[in-house]
Amino acid sequence: MRVLAATKGVEGEGFNPPDAGDFNLPPFIEGNVFATKPILLAFLSVLLIATFFILAARKAAVVPSKLQFAGESVYTFVRNDLGRDVIGHEFMRFVPYLFTLFTFILVNNLFGIVPLIQFPTMSRISFPYVLAAFTFFVFHYVGIRRHGLISYLKGIMFIPGVPKPAYVLITPLELATYFLVRPLTLSLRLFANMFAGHLLLLVFFLGGEHLLQGVIGLKLISPFSFAIGIALTFFEFMVQCLQAYIFTLLTALYIAGALADEH
Amino acid sequence: MAPRNDENAFWTIFGYLLSGLLIWGGIGYGLDRWLGTGFFLLGGLLLGMGSSLYLIWLRFGRN
Repeated sequence: MRVLAATKGVEGEGFNPPDAGDFNLPPFIEGNVFATKPILLAFLSVLLIATFFILAARKAAVVPSKLQFAGESVYTFVRNDLGRDVIGHEFMRFVPYLFTLFTFILVNNLFGIVPLIQFPTMSRISFPYVLAAFTFFVFHYVGIRRHGLISYLKGIMFIPGVPKPAYVLITPLELATYFLVRPLTLSLRLFANMFAGHLLLLVFFLGGEHLLQGVIGLKLISPFSFAIGIALTFFEFMVQCLQAYIFTLLTALYIAGALADEH
Repeated sequence: MAPRNDENAFWTIFGYLLSGLLIWGGIGYGLDRWLGTGFFLLGGLLLGMGSSLYLIWLRFGRN
């Protein structure tokens, strides 16, 4: 313990690999727990998204400008691919929610590779938790409104065409899936992807920087570490888009499932 | 809706397998703690695995 503490204290002595502590950003206003980088980024993302879409929609014309075209592409993608194709004829009611969810997660994920910001908000687990809680309430609310509380729960608990004793085995599983596993996997998948991605980038960039301070042989290896880091940045871009897509897609699928006549 | 079904099926199956192990394995673990035995956890995990697979078959394999 003493030895560890001693080596950690000496500057430039040994490489301190990035760990979960690197996600613990202290508040920048002393004592104010709300003044942290992730919260600031969440607000910034809302500001950016709102500005972008207001500007894109303001001078709407039949022949769209580039900005309008970009805004409409995102909107059309969410409305058609995630709303209409998944939910069916009632999809318009849910497009605002799906659209907000998709853009919010996407921009906050992309913050992970935007220079100078470089922190994915969703790698702090509270954000995915809250988003999953919203989805949880939305799809259950929709299902209860559609079927009534009793028959909604019945639809979840009892699949038709199963011998009665088997319900003892599978009804707990159905309940756990709908009320526990769904929100948990939804939030943890997003969190874990963002957390791991950020950690990976930290390892290669901090590692490259550390190698640069070593002997000549290590200095020669350092560019490779940076090169892998840059390649991983592009990979991360893909993961970040994919995770925003999957979160929204699963939300749409859950809503569609709650609306369907039989579960 | 057809191309989305794969994605849906994948996560549904994953969820069932997870909840099978958690619920029945958890009940087995609880019984073990309560009665001071050692075999309920294993039995619960197996039962959970079995019932997850049964449920997956009901959902996806029947027709």
